[in-house]
Amino acid sequence: MAREIYAYKCRLCDTEHYPFRMVCKNCKQNDFFEFDTVPLPRDGKLLTYTRVYNLPPQYEVPTLGLGIVELENGMRMLGQLDIDEPKAGMAVKGSVEIVREETYDNYYGMVFRGA
Amino acid sequence: MRDVYVAGIGITTFTRLEFALSEIASYASMMALKDAGITEVDQVYVANMGSPRVNHQTALASAVADSLSLTPAGAAAIENGPASGGSAIKAGYQAVASGMDDVVLVAGVERMREVNGLEATDFVATLTHPIAEYIYGVTLPAHAAMFTRLYMDKYGVTERHLAMVGVKNQNAALNNEWAHLQQEISLEGILDSPEAMTNNPYVAEPLRFFDACPVSDGGAAIILVSEEKAKELGGPMIKLSGVGQATDTHTVHEREEPTDLLAVRKAAADAFAMAGKTPEDVDVAELHDAFTILEIVESEEVGFFPKGEGHIALEKGETALGGKIPINVGGGLKGRGHPVGATGIAQAWEIVTQLRGDGEARQVEDAEVGFTCNFGGFGNNVVCLVFEKEA
Amino acid sequence: MSVDLEKILRPIDSEMAPYEPKYMLLASGEAAVVRAVDRDEIPDLLKHVEPLLHVERDYYDVVASRVYAELLSHYQYRFQDQYVLAVQVDGELAAIVNGRQVTPNLGLSLHTLALRRGLRIGAHAFAAKMEYHFDVLGHDEVLIVAESPIGFRRWMIEYKLEKRFEIPHELGGVPSWALTRELFDAARSSLVVGRRPVPPEILDKAMEAILPPSDPPTPALDPLSATRSQYDPTASALMVQRWAMEEGLQDA
Repeated sequence: MAREIYAYKCRLCDTEHYPFRMVCKNCKQNDFFEFDTVPLPRDGKLLTYTRVYNLPPQYEVPTLGLGIVELENGMRMLGQLDIDEPKAGMAVKGSVEIVREETYDNYYGMVFRGA
Repeated sequence: MRDVYVAGIGITTFTRLEFALSEIASYASMMALKDAGITEVDQVYVANMGSPRVNHQTALASAVADSLSLTPAGAAAIENGPASGGSAIKAGYQAVASGMDDVVLVAGVERMREVNGLEATDFVATLTHPIAEYIYGVTLPAHAAMFTRLYMDKYGVTERHLAMVGVKNQNAALNNEWAHLQQEISLEGILDSPEAMTNNPYVAEPLRFFDACPVSDGGAAIILVSEEKAKELGGPMIKLSGVGQATDTHTVHEREEPTDLLAVRKAAADAFAMAGKTPEDVDVAELHDAFTILEIVESEEVGFFPKGEGHIALEKGETALGGKIPINVGGGLKGRGHPVGATGIAQAWEIVTQLRGDGEARQVEDAEVGFTCNFGGFGNNVVCLVFEKEA
Repeated sequence: MSVDLEKILRPIDSEMAPYEPKYMLLASGEAAVVRAVDRDEIPDLLKHVEPLLHVERDYYDVVASRVYAELLSHYQYRFQDQYVLAVQVDGELAAIVNGRQVTPNLGLSLHTLALRRGLRIGAHAFAAKMEYHFDVLGHDEVLIVAESPIGFRRWMIEYKLEKRFEIPHELGGVPSWALTRELFDAARSSLVVGRRPVPPEILDKAMEAILPPSDPPTPALDPLSATRSQYDPTASALMVQRWAMEEGLQDA
């Protein structure tokens, strides 16, 4: 099964959130976990980006690209960038991959590449 | 509510301090107690962000209260990220204003250099969203960098403006004996010379080494008292007249307009409203320049300059000592250092020093109203304070 | 007899081309000179290295004691093919770097010791010694290790070294990393700076005397405090020192 990153859609007012929140930002009426999970779209455009040189000690790469992407449904998310020369506004496509390894634990997240 | 006054202030040198964490907090507190001329308090608040993780010590406030022989006063630690200091002052304000306590010691402390710089970066990054931000390797410099990129595109801020803030604040620290960085820098050395890009490499593009505050250890303390107690102690009457605090979304990407810092705007507006002042009334300000871009943006959001014009005011020298609204004349976080839990208190320490007229080489002339902005998270928890000198 | 023995013990240094001095502007706007240090100037360096033996943080103690041994044995002809470069700001010693030639094609980096911090002088000094290995001595590769996490991260970020883990490094026998000519050329434009020739008044000041560093790292006030930090696990040595200090106090 392909890994997905989910948005959380309020069952009362249909507002989607990413990441998860306990209470809907729009209607503020939810009971516990009254949300449906909806996979986030993979396509979007790059809003802003950086290349980080001082990384936490767990990273064995010298630098890391990061960016905030506006997805095609209008939601935004932060992800890693595997793009040599990012430009604001460029089209990108995400893929769910390992973004952090700590000893024996792997964490999955979105990695964006030029579309 | 009762009026609240500052009866004493104390600080340690901000640098690498090889003392136990509680000793650093206690030293600054002892200085503040001596400054106020008291040996007893009703309540102790200790602002700190990382002691359980970085220093392997919990229940810090109990240790500090006992070390200062202040028992049986009440004591509690306050952890609120980089806004811990401002939050602790707010708690102290509430304790005195409510009438519950007459004398409150508010200390702030951090000892981040107990671990190496990479660990310290990771420790501060734990304030980001654990699933939507932290796991990606996001650090505070990374957040600030992405924010800067948007600001540059939208408002025309350049690397030169950032470097100007860095030079202004790091060189201002030369006038502050407690400041961490005692090393002059020049625009030529960090921006214009053939070697500048090697002297000043990227930390997170487009932010460079001299755009970021250093990792520091340090402590600061302030004594808040009721009006009656302040008069009895007989020191200068410095009133804490406005307190504002606001939050914003945890993740940066969820903010509708990502170049806005709404929590700064709201916290400042609330603090000014409470004090019955406006940004025009402020004579001296301490803004949270953990990264150079933040001083420019906060100077706009708190109301000193229109949105998008902070860098223009900087160019004109309006934020320098002698300018229209001097900002960070003691070096700011960039020059003084940023022991996260202590920063909010250190900002208040600087403002009280200025309002008392004790600023020496960095004194702002006739300073009567001072303002601080203590910026937590990446702008998701902000405390602003207004201080006034009473004749 | 003793003269003959010295002939056996004293290594015969290979001929190594000289390092031409250069200078660069620091972040402060001050000029820093990087130049080769002759053997007869080594004692001038040693007296400024010695205090760092007692700085038990950021591996200053380990690095300084190894540098001291390397410089001293170079001075007393017990180290083959070592070179030493110094960085001076207005005559003051700001950094020492050293290394050696293993074969005409292979260099080995020994240490980078910064005596003034916050201006990236250590990074400039490290770049200068790599420049010496590749551009002057013509090495194809330089073997490198780091003692501190900061050093490791720095060259890992800035030069992206290759693993040579099959070769134990002369410093502590740990697995080596290597800077190849290709990697060096890739990093050159952003990391290797400096201008030649050095204006005579700046060079004369540097050559005249190696002045003491103005703000060198100093030991902690409480010698045991470093033992609380995660990366300075030198507890037993420090406790011995503390007992010695306490005894000394009692005697006084």
